[in-house]
Amino acid sequence: MSGRDYFREHRLLTAGLVAAAAGVLILAVFDPATSGVFPPCPVRYLTGWYCPGCGSLRAFHQLLHGNLRAAWAMNPLTVVLLPFLAYGLAAHVLNQLHITKSPGAGSRATGLRASGLRRIRLPELFLPAMWIRALGAAIILFGIVRNIPLHPFNLLAPGAMLRF
Amino acid sequence: MFCPQCGANNADTAAVCSQCGRSLQVAVAPIPLQTTGVVLPPPGTVVPNYLVFAILATVFCCLPTGIPAIVYAAQVNNKLQVGNIAGAQADSRNAKMWCWISFGLGLAMLVGYGGLVMLGILSGAMHH
Repeated sequence: MSGRDYFREHRLLTAGLVAAAAGVLILAVFDPATSGVFPPCPVRYLTGWYCPGCGSLRAFHQLLHGNLRAAWAMNPLTVVLLPFLAYGLAAHVLNQLHITKSPGAGSRATGLRASGLRRIRLPELFLPAMWIRALGAAIILFGIVRNIPLHPFNLLAPGAMLRF
Repeated sequence: MFCPQCGANNADTAAVCSQCGRSLQVAVAPIPLQTTGVVLPPPGTVVPNYLVFAILATVFCCLPTGIPAIVYAAQVNNKLQVGNIAGAQADSRNAKMWCWISFGLGLAMLVGYGGLVMLGILSGAMHH
């Protein structure tokens, strides 16, 4: 099995990677703060409230241009979570490539070896359930606090830290 | 059965991998309950909890459908920690479902917004 067949076997993953690459490219070129390319946050649009993720596209755009401070001002939660999410996605994608689910379809691992790709495995992080619940609570709390129109809470609204 | 370590195809009855010697017995021992620190689940009990996708869904797309995904992700690890593999697998499916619902909702909104923008451009072009 060639490398080409190998990626054909992982259509969903390949489509996801292509879409992600296209998304990153568009996000690097267009600033969500000034261009109309990106849709508004549905939560903000419908309720007028900032959601925990509001400003994360602008933050990611700033990160792609190396402006950590501007990214932090747009959405500190996204900046903090990004390394964790990036590792989690990388581990998931890499490990997906080696799953041998259907013995009838032939060994994907053998195909991988034949295609000359090297096996890379990243350990998937196992967070204890309490940590995940705390993380969920922190995300919701962040969404509430950044809507409080009082100093210093309002500093957490997208871009507010750049104005003070 | 495929070896989880090297991927070699072995007989379903094989106890160890013929290529690398890794044990092919599925571990059923519960993960020691650990509340502090990141722990790695023993091989053979890997049940995906889709936490990364749940967080992405919550932060980048849809808060109301992302939160259940996070809750189910926590449930998966909760049940893995006490050795309830079947329960973890059921919650894993739910976590996955809520991630896909979020993805579908986000995609629908993106397509809808793209359609509106296109309509705006078209009507603008017609008036000039």
